[in-house]
Amino acid sequence: MAMSRIKEIVVIGGGVIGASIAYQLAKRGRSVALVERGDLAFGASGACDQDIILQSKNPGLHLQLALESANIYETLEPELQQPIEYKKTGGMIIIETPEEMEVMRGFVKGQRETGLMVEILDREEAGKLQRGLAGHIVGATYSPQDAHVNPIKLTLAFAAAAVKRGTELLLHTEVTGIKQKGGIVKGVKTTSGHIDCEIIINATGAWAPFVGHMIGLEIPIWPRRGQIVVTEEVPPYVMGDILSARYIVAKYNPDMIKDCEDPGIKMGVGLSLSQTKKGNIFIGATREFVGYNSHVTREGLKEILKYTTRLMPGLKDINMIRSFAGLRPYTPDGLPIIGPVKGLEGFFIAAGHEGDGIALSPVTGRIVADLITEGKAFMDVSALTIERFKKQ
Amino acid sequence: MTEKKTVYICRCEEVTEDEIRKAIADGARTVKGVKNRTDATMGLCQGRTCRRIIEKMLSEVTGIEKLNPGIRHPVRTLNIGELVRGCNGDE
Repeated sequence: MAMSRIKEIVVIGGGVIGASIAYQLAKRGRSVALVERGDLAFGASGACDQDIILQSKNPGLHLQLALESANIYETLEPELQQPIEYKKTGGMIIIETPEEMEVMRGFVKGQRETGLMVEILDREEAGKLQRGLAGHIVGATYSPQDAHVNPIKLTLAFAAAAVKRGTELLLHTEVTGIKQKGGIVKGVKTTSGHIDCEIIINATGAWAPFVGHMIGLEIPIWPRRGQIVVTEEVPPYVMGDILSARYIVAKYNPDMIKDCEDPGIKMGVGLSLSQTKKGNIFIGATREFVGYNSHVTREGLKEILKYTTRLMPGLKDINMIRSFAGLRPYTPDGLPIIGPVKGLEGFFIAAGHEGDGIALSPVTGRIVADLITEGKAFMDVSALTIERFKKQ
Repeated sequence: MTEKKTVYICRCEEVTEDEIRKAIADGARTVKGVKNRTDATMGLCQGRTCRRIIEKMLSEVTGIEKLNPGIRHPVRTLNIGELVRGCNGDE
């Protein structure tokens, strides 16, 4: 039976970002409804690996966000009073060629200047950290600050902590429209009735453009599919988070692989490897633009495994038990869109984190809650608003 | 009062009937929703034993009784070496 509600704030999207924002606002005593059309962690937050990788972040604002988020993670588990399986494991980025080594040297230099503890290891040192590296690997970067968290448990814990502080959680409830008057937000229409509110936060990840259209706003976010393989439980094998430099090179120096005919490279395959507490190994991932198709493909899984076993041949002896794919919310400059929207009073966006949503969810929640309750965030995030994409 | 017997629904991950009922009470309406809250179906057999029982338990709330297609690769566990044989110039 449809009923109407009155709240100060409506957060749309029950993924890790929406749940984190709802928690931070509830902690500050605000009246919040968290509205999710499916269930908690039903999008990318429930279809990703467990890595919190600082080393993959671009020097500057991107890495600053990750470092601030890492600070919040340090005390998050006791704060939320639910297990989230957070553990600082350290991580490495393995390097295959001298060309990649050159790119990584520059990258690491910039990251150190931004404040990350990270260093370059030679082949021998890298081999001591992770056994079974293929013979051609020339070295790696290493940071002790990389970590793991269970993204599903994290999302559920944020939501539970928000509910405990008075947030109303509306699952299986789809937002069908936004009410506004003269550019000022008035409420949302949902499949469970109207909610009058002063503030709406669009935290719907890859689906943010659809919510944008409800208020006449174009949001430059596109779904980018990431396929991941899961193995059976095996004894400890993977040292922490392991990426390959090809992932970084592909992300920030696309020219280096532009003319490549390799199907794996065309699918954006880069290594992302980690092992869960139970022993399953996550092997990822592709980065593909295929619209809202979140199916796994035989070709995608094969390319991931082909590339991974080239770097770590020992993985061939293990069985895969499962695969899945999630839609990462891609933005053209690799940074999330966080903040208010000019001309739409009360409408905020917190989406477009691509593969960084888990890592950046704590800091995103804090920033959005700051912007709403204090009018400004604890760090300068003016560069993250949607205005940066407006044509001059 | 007699002691209630613990009934395991997902044997791989040792998830009990009570835990699944709680997940449904917390808002789960799909097998994925139950899985996210309890880890049921995530073990070695990938739900081959418990999935049908969980679907039956869900149907008591949702009224939907159907077999859900769309199980992802692989249907059975698969050796990674088998899958990449012939790639990277090996046998």
